[in-house]
Amino acid sequence: MDFDLTTDQRMLQKMVREIATKELEPVASEIDQSGEFPWENIKKLAKQGLLGVIVPEKYGGAGFDFISLAIAIEEISKVCATTGVIVAVNNSLAAYPIYQFGNEEQRKKWLPLLASGEKLGAIAITEPNAGSDVASMETTARLEGDYWVLNGTKRFITNGGEAGIYVVFAYTNKELQHRGISAFIVERETPGFSLGKHEDLMGIRATANCELIFEDAKIPKDNLLGEEGQGFKICMHTLDVSRIDIGAQAVGLAQGALDAAISYAKERKAFGKPLSEFEMIQSMIAEMATQIQAARLLVYYAAYCKDKGMSRFSKEASMGKWFASEAAVNATKMAVQIYGGYGYTKDYPVERFYRDAKIMELYEGTSEIQKIVIARSLLK
Amino acid sequence: MDIVVCIKRVPETAEAEIKVDSSGKDILKERLTFDINESDNYALEEAILLKEKRGGTVTLISVGPPECEDTIRMGLAKGADQAIRVSNEGFGELDGFATAEILKNTIQDLSYDLILTGCMATDDGYSQVGPTLAELLGIPHAVLVTKVDLQDGNARVERELEGGLLEALEIKLPALFAIQTGINEPRYASLIAIRRAAAKEIKVLNAQAIGLERPTLRTRVENLFPPPVGKRAEILKGGAEETSKRLAQIYKSKGII
Amino acid sequence: MGGEMGKIFTLVEHRRGQIHDISFELLTKGRDLAAQLNSEVVALVLGHGTEEVVERVKGEAHQVLWVKGESLKEPNAEAYQIVLSHILKEYNPFLTLIGHTALGMDLAPPLAASLDIPLATDCVGIELEDKRVITIRQPYNGKLNARVSFADAPAFMITLRQGSFPSEEGNLTGKVVDIPSPLEKEPDYRRFVEYIEAAVGEVDITQADVIIAVGRGIKEKENLALLEDLADSLGGVLACSRPIVDEGWLSKDRQVGSSGKTVKPKLYMAIGISGAFQHITGMKNADTIVAINKDPNAPIFNVAHYGIVDDLFKVVPVLKKKILELKG
Repeated sequence: MDFDLTTDQRMLQKMVREIATKELEPVASEIDQSGEFPWENIKKLAKQGLLGVIVPEKYGGAGFDFISLAIAIEEISKVCATTGVIVAVNNSLAAYPIYQFGNEEQRKKWLPLLASGEKLGAIAITEPNAGSDVASMETTARLEGDYWVLNGTKRFITNGGEAGIYVVFAYTNKELQHRGISAFIVERETPGFSLGKHEDLMGIRATANCELIFEDAKIPKDNLLGEEGQGFKICMHTLDVSRIDIGAQAVGLAQGALDAAISYAKERKAFGKPLSEFEMIQSMIAEMATQIQAARLLVYYAAYCKDKGMSRFSKEASMGKWFASEAAVNATKMAVQIYGGYGYTKDYPVERFYRDAKIMELYEGTSEIQKIVIARSLLK
Repeated sequence: MDIVVCIKRVPETAEAEIKVDSSGKDILKERLTFDINESDNYALEEAILLKEKRGGTVTLISVGPPECEDTIRMGLAKGADQAIRVSNEGFGELDGFATAEILKNTIQDLSYDLILTGCMATDDGYSQVGPTLAELLGIPHAVLVTKVDLQDGNARVERELEGGLLEALEIKLPALFAIQTGINEPRYASLIAIRRAAAKEIKVLNAQAIGLERPTLRTRVENLFPPPVGKRAEILKGGAEETSKRLAQIYKSKGII
Repeated sequence: MGGEMGKIFTLVEHRRGQIHDISFELLTKGRDLAAQLNSEVVALVLGHGTEEVVERVKGEAHQVLWVKGESLKEPNAEAYQIVLSHILKEYNPFLTLIGHTALGMDLAPPLAASLDIPLATDCVGIELEDKRVITIRQPYNGKLNARVSFADAPAFMITLRQGSFPSEEGNLTGKVVDIPSPLEKEPDYRRFVEYIEAAVGEVDITQADVIIAVGRGIKEKENLALLEDLADSLGGVLACSRPIVDEGWLSKDRQVGSSGKTVKPKLYMAIGISGAFQHITGMKNADTIVAINKDPNAPIFNVAHYGIVDDLFKVVPVLKKKILELKG
């Protein structure tokens, strides 16, 4: 057993930490307040190869493993959870399913665009009437000559308003229930595809979260991802992978909150001594730190399972995602508490951390869904 | 154009709390983060830029423990071709001269047209290693260099003097330049380059290999201590509201407003 | 001790007819040490057309060694090294003091190495303990002081940090001794080409009464607007420390410090500036110095008259408001 990072993982961590501190942190509050998609950040990260961390080199990526991707997202999310999730989505929700389930032609065509950041990726699963219950989606696709014709509406799509390439799920045969769902690669310029409502979110506010509307959108036949009817499987497997990265995002955010809380507790004085000398503050710091460390180990372990090539790691991914998202909500809440009234103002980053944390218990499967996944794998 | 760059791994001390260890001669390092010395990073970038323009190789050299290798590797990832770590094991305490002596013994057998160093290390702050090394190797030098233009067998450099004044010099190669910060914009390594650099071999030399069992120690740190609290500022107390109000009043009383 | 029974040699630094302030600090310290050693201080003047320089420093030393030559017209470290190593070998002084300046940093290390004598650089203090020389340095960004001793040697060299030693008028009558230059022409391996003046910007910060100076603490370029607002409220101008120029956020003519401008305004506010000595050199003589910094241990608080230990982003907007209120 070995808890040490490898040389390339350590170097990746150092590089990402540097770029996060120097380039992302200074603008994090600004993009939160404006809600404007941080293209400058994304371009800088793309230049270093961070949009294709796990994409193999022959498809234009950096060819790192999933632990490395988790480390990168953690470091970015420490200073800016918005940028963290944009990068996570591009890597594990757009590039990954195309790599894992696409044919050679699709890989060659789409992966270099995503890995280089030339086009941003998004995934479209959720609908107005289908959240956790994926199989109740209403979007359909029917084959007409050389095209699949898509109809339906997708909702809460991270990167939705700015992406160039979408992995979209739709029923090709409603009779077959979840076995009738298929996955498609859809380009932004597709006729019949338009953007709907832009969501005004509580946290991760600059993620271009948007509604996607398909009205007789014509998708070339070649853009079917995997087999017809394989969509549900693609979706579930992809979510397993992406839960590792949402876990990593939560760990990073929580760590950012802890770091801020520690430095504030040492600086700020009350009743004639620094906050850090009060035992109730120490208790909070200890609790935050321990939960974050536990969360990190769970998340890294899930990534390790994926890297080892284990076919089933749903339970591990769900454990990491659930525990880390709750640790993030708790840590950011405590950070605000330690800052007191100042923590409730926009002068300090902890109120942003607090708002950013909540989504982590909701997206990519709520905490309740994670627990179901864990329990089912133990009880089946 | 074959360029040697000397780099040092230093603790980040600008924003950290610095405490003296129990020996009284060194600082506590457990809580500090380490990275390439600031001006060395500019020297490294300058070497890579010169190589990109004129071809040739960049060789990195660092004196230190195995932990330096990550710093060295990051230099390889940014574009250096090869690297040497001179193990500091057995050397004991080193000062600026001793470090220059070690570097001289390491570099004298290499072929080079140019040596770049940073102009000052942010830990010990000697500003001494580069120009001393040049003297020991018998090559010309310039420090506080803010611009390097290479011509055939010559370099035209600009160096910083006082009050915003610069001087331009023409220096025969091979030469050593100690680079000032701000000369360029250091890059980040890309992920692919990091992966390749992680697998590269760093040549490790020890005292015996460079033929220098005992570097000459000419100065010795007797002890470290916090700077004496002399005339300290009057610290205004309270929150932003109170301190600002008080300061504005002080300005008024001094006729500034 | 040296052959000349413990003489102290100091290098008089000058450029384009101007004697560098450090020269007088060296001479003052040199006299102090010479008095303790019952010895003499000797000023070294190298150059071309240096009559006025020699005239000015005569009263500062027991002796002036004067080397004239066209090849020494501009201070060139390699040329100086040839001349000085020749003189120091011949006179063998106990201690040689040089400024830790752009010239001194270029000159002292190779000179000491060529003479095979110990060198301590960038010292802020020199003490004699039983005729052992101890220097005080400030490593780790000035956060700690270090007592540094020398290995046994017949002679030592020290470079002194600018502005760390007092400068007092001497009342000696130094004997001027002409020394023929051992240098026939400027070394061909390092030739002086030209001086390049700093570009003239839209404001001359050296003429301003109020200077709002910013450093690393402002984090990003966009935040300059906040400080500009404060400067406007005080009728002042914006200046900065070196990292801001390195980042390209303000032009070089706004930089205060040893490689930038030296200023002496009525009010100098150092905001988000930790106070590296290179910066302090350029502003320590301001009438009123105010520092705002999160780090209570930042060295800037050692030169400031008033300090606020807080987040600048919290204080600056409120301060601006309070100033405008008081102005009515």
